[in-house]
Order: sequence, then C-alpha cells, then structure tokens
Amino acid sequence: MNVHDPDIPPGWEYNPASWGQRLPIAALALVGGAIATYLALFQYHVVDTVWEPFFGDGSRRILSSSLSTMLPISDGALGALSYMADALSALVGGRSRWRTMPWIVVIFGVLVGPLGVVSVGLVIAQPLLYNAWCTLCLASAVISIVMIGPAMDEVLASLQHLKRVAESPDKSVWRAFWGTGPESLEDAA
Amino acid sequence: MWTQALNVALGGWLMAAPAVLHYSGAARTTHLILGPIVAAFAAIAVAECTRGVRRANIPLGAWLLVAPLFSGFEPRAAVTSAIVGATVIAGALLGGRTRTRFGGGWAVLWRRRMADSE
Repeated sequence: MNVHDPDIPPGWEYNPASWGQRLPIAALALVGGAIATYLALFQYHVVDTVWEPFFGDGSRRILSSSLSTMLPISDGALGALSYMADALSALVGGRSRWRTMPWIVVIFGVLVGPLGVVSVGLVIAQPLLYNAWCTLCLASAVISIVMIGPAMDEVLASLQHLKRVAESPDKSVWRAFWGTGPESLEDAA
Repeated sequence: MWTQALNVALGGWLMAAPAVLHYSGAARTTHLILGPIVAAFAAIAVAECTRGVRRANIPLGAWLLVAPLFSGFEPRAAVTSAIVGATVIAGALLGGRTRTRFGGGWAVLWRRRMADSE
C-alpha cells in the first residue's frame, strides 16, 4: 500500500473501499442471502423439510410461527431481500467510491444496520415466545451482525469526506454526496 | 479484539445457560434477552473502526450484575449472572488494542472543524 495512494483517506492507513475490504462483506451477504432464501423456500412450501441438526423440530416451529409470518412476506424472504440489497450495495462502485460515490456507501451502511437489529430481535424471540431454536436462523443472525463492523469503516471515510467538503467555503456537500462535485475527482484534502 | 471475542462468547453462554444449568423464570428471561444483545455489541466491536460500540455493554453488564438482587434468581442463575456481568463490564471497559487510525475516527464528525485534528 502506497501512502500517496489518493484512494487512502487522509489520516488513514488503508483504503476502506478496496476490493480486499469489500469482497469479503459481499461474500458474507451472499451466504446469508442463500440461507435466508432456503428458509423462505421452506416457508412458502417449495421445499418440504428444513435442515435442523440440533434442535429437533425447532426450525419448523420457528419458521411457521405467527411472528415469522406476520408481515405480507415471510421473515425469511425479507431477510433474503435485505441480504441481496447488502451484497449489491457492497459491490457497486470502484475502489475510490468512499469519495466518488458517498451516496452508495451511505445506503450500504444504512442497509446493513436494520438487518442486524431485526436478526437479534428474532434470536431473542425464538426461545422466549416459542421455546425453540432454529439453527439456520441463528447462522443468518450471526452473519448479519458480523457484517456490520467491517462495513462501517467505509461509511466513516465517506462521512469524513463530506465533512471536509462542508468545511471548505466553495464546495457543495450535496454535489459531493452524489459524486458530481470537483472534489470527487481529485483528493479533497 | 480478544476482550470483545470473550464478550461474544459470554453472550452466547447466556443464551445456552438456562437450558444447560436448568433455571427458569426471571433469570432465564433476563439472560435470553441480554445474551444476544451483549454478543451482538461485542461482535460489532471486534472491528477496530467500531470498537467504541463495546461501551454499550457496560450498562448491560451492570444489569446482569445487579439483576439477581431485585428479582428471584435461583442461586446458580444468580452466580452465573453476577460472574458474566462483571466479566462483560471488564471486557467492555478494556476494549483491547487498536493498531490503525481512521483519520480521527467518528469523533471528528462532531467536532466543529475536523482539519484541526489531522
């Protein structure tokens, strides 16, 4: 890593938008999406059984519970859509997107959060409301939480970039957010 | 990082403990609610950039520590709660080493001028 690399944010030691940083997050999101899709297929009776190595009929009880099906689409399907949105927003843009496309980085950060919050809520609900555990639901929750920390460094770099733009008298934060201002092209520092 | 990994494990243990040690009631409910939350905050705090999230576990650890005093925990549940609570607080306070800097981190976003910090 070259310290003069313009893709490394000022005061940082690495580029949080590099592919080495982002591809693992996208891979995690795709694994989570695959698990959630499988659970949704069970909920919509496309597959008849659900894999459950530890907790007997726990997965079946959890996945067909009233909480799982209270929304117009099942929680598994909702999770699958969220994971796909996470993976997509992790992959859009090049390795300088923290300053060239802050909007996608901010969307990425905003999408990652609620998935984790909902996952933790569902993990709490499993034993308390239904006295059961669901192995793949737990695996999905772990993935959604593990993604949050590694995703946030890029969000921080984008917010610092926007704040730098806000502090310079002649630049527009609005244009910087959408990546259409002059500072998106050269180093703003 | 290891202090946060420890708190992840402790949160996971709280989720299993009611079944493993056979206790129920308020202790079980408390541990099944706080376990996943403690584990989630600690897991987010493993990443250096979001290490500050570890502090969210200080009040949760304190709750685990004192909860046996206010509601009828069975002895083994009370001991579990107190030990886990005290250890979670320690892990949340210690934080562990961070090796890299992030342009001043999240704090500069609230500062009047971030240029001063660089």
